[in-house]
Amino acid sequence: MSGNVIPPLSSVRHERTFPRFTAAQRWEHALLLLSGFVLLLTGLPQKYRELSISQDLLSTPERVELIRQIHHIAAIVLALEALYHFGRILYLLSKRRLPGDLLPTWQDVRDAGHMLQYLLFLCNDKPKFGRYNFEQKVTYWFVFFGVLIMGVSGFIIWFPVFFTQFLPGGVVPAAKLAHSTEAVVIAIFILVWHVYHVHIERTNLSMFTGRLSEDEMRTFHEKEYERLTAGSVKVKPGAKK
Amino acid sequence: MATRTIHRQAFWFLLAGIFILLLSLLAASPVSAVPSAQETEKYCLSCHGDPTLSLALPSGETLSLYISQDDLDHSVHSTVGIECEACHTDIKEYPHPELKYQTARELSRAYYQTCEKCHSVNYEKAQDSMHAKAAEAGNLDAPICTDCHGAHDVRLPDEPRSRISETCRQCHTDIVDTYRQSVHGAALMLEENPDVPVCTDCHGVHNIQDPRTAQFRVAEPELCADCHANEELMSKYGLSADVYSIYKRSWHGVDVSVYKAKWPTIWHDSAVCSDCHGIHDIRSTDDPQSKVNPNNLLATCQQCHPGAGPNWTDAWTGHNEISLERTPFLFYVDRFYKLFVPFVLWGCIIYVVLQIIRATVDRVRRNLP
Repeated sequence: MSGNVIPPLSSVRHERTFPRFTAAQRWEHALLLLSGFVLLLTGLPQKYRELSISQDLLSTPERVELIRQIHHIAAIVLALEALYHFGRILYLLSKRRLPGDLLPTWQDVRDAGHMLQYLLFLCNDKPKFGRYNFEQKVTYWFVFFGVLIMGVSGFIIWFPVFFTQFLPGGVVPAAKLAHSTEAVVIAIFILVWHVYHVHIERTNLSMFTGRLSEDEMRTFHEKEYERLTAGSVKVKPGAKK
Repeated sequence: MATRTIHRQAFWFLLAGIFILLLSLLAASPVSAVPSAQETEKYCLSCHGDPTLSLALPSGETLSLYISQDDLDHSVHSTVGIECEACHTDIKEYPHPELKYQTARELSRAYYQTCEKCHSVNYEKAQDSMHAKAAEAGNLDAPICTDCHGAHDVRLPDEPRSRISETCRQCHTDIVDTYRQSVHGAALMLEENPDVPVCTDCHGVHNIQDPRTAQFRVAEPELCADCHANEELMSKYGLSADVYSIYKRSWHGVDVSVYKAKWPTIWHDSAVCSDCHGIHDIRSTDDPQSKVNPNNLLATCQQCHPGAGPNWTDAWTGHNEISLERTPFLFYVDRFYKLFVPFVLWGCIIYVVLQIIRATVDRVRRNLP
């Protein structure tokens, strides 16, 4: 109870964190997550109509209409989000400020080969990654093209009469097949690949908190950590928080 | 004692007499039955064989009472010994009891009820029919047994097969005339084709239902599939037997099958066979007048898809499997996903499983002393 029991201030561990995603990027992810979830939830029962769970959901013609309307509203939300994303890319490109961290490079191919060797017990060290590792780049580009395919094919089957005014008619059944199949592919991918990497392998909540801890940076993004800390021999603890 | 003997003798005589009488009845009855029935017909025709015999009804109509010997000779009933009194149960002697009917129709509608005596199953079915409902609603012209089968000249209804359409044509003239121009009707009229549907194949025989209901509509693909999904029958005419199975996977087909299974009484507009191919005017796709002939297809689609442009018809894959020639876009998308889906599925699973194995092994190693 005497004064000297109080530990000195310097011994309080200040964990240093690094910014990873801006608030706008996190909002984009939240919109993508929400609209994608609603789209999947309202789309799958329409694809697998013979399943009893779909039949419970689509129990009356009015319900079918309602489910379709919800699907369309979520589609508009996601389409606006995607347009914003493309617009932002174009804007940053025009200002020559688009960060190239997400672009695939040959280093990613080498990293993937290295990772495969590690997973097959052919070597004992994991590859060192930059700001985004090849797994994360695969995730981004898979979803990028997935949303593009789903959006284009979705609007074609939503407004087939309009689109066939200038597109060949054959795109309509092709879009229907693509929409229906790509949806399942994305669902599998997100469920297996993305959920494993951000929830099971480790809990990576940077898409919600916006930041990564120094520990995480050192372990999972070593090259980026080295690049950020190079030159500053001693970084003030907690400087970023 | 003497009187008693006489009594006993009388008793034996009586017994023998009864015995002989019974024996003679037994022996005589089969011999006399047939001639007596034929006698009835002959007896009745002695008056009713006169073509001028007629009766004025209270309605002012003149009811002909003439029965042609020729009709009876060809009737399925007369030839097996079923004669006048079998149906005209109320007439047992001459002079006849007075007719209580105001009109000729009233008389027909009373007499046809005797059909039930022998043909109870079909009679009951007919009471559930669209025709019976029309009669209940007050249309006394709605057909009864005798209108289709005849009264005194009942013959086999499908001998020849085209006779069925002739029967329905008595009332449904325009429809049957249209049908006779169709691919089905033409084959029936030209060659008495045994495979094409006649009226009753689609509409039913005695319990004919209203074909304009939602139930009839959603059941229609199955109705057509009865023949058009029959490999053996279709190959005979060089037609595909896959049209139904492919339709069932199409946008229209899925919609319709859901409605059939869950809401058969709710009207739904998703196309069924007849919306595109026509109903009684179904023609071969090569026929320039066919609704699905390439030249007419767009107009047919526009019935439901107004504003569709000339490219639209290619959006319809027809009743064909995916092929490079007919549906190149669909073909390549299909090819792509046939490779891409297993690639993504197994790629993700294998990669994640390898990661789990490696992470587990690493963790165990770290914890080992």
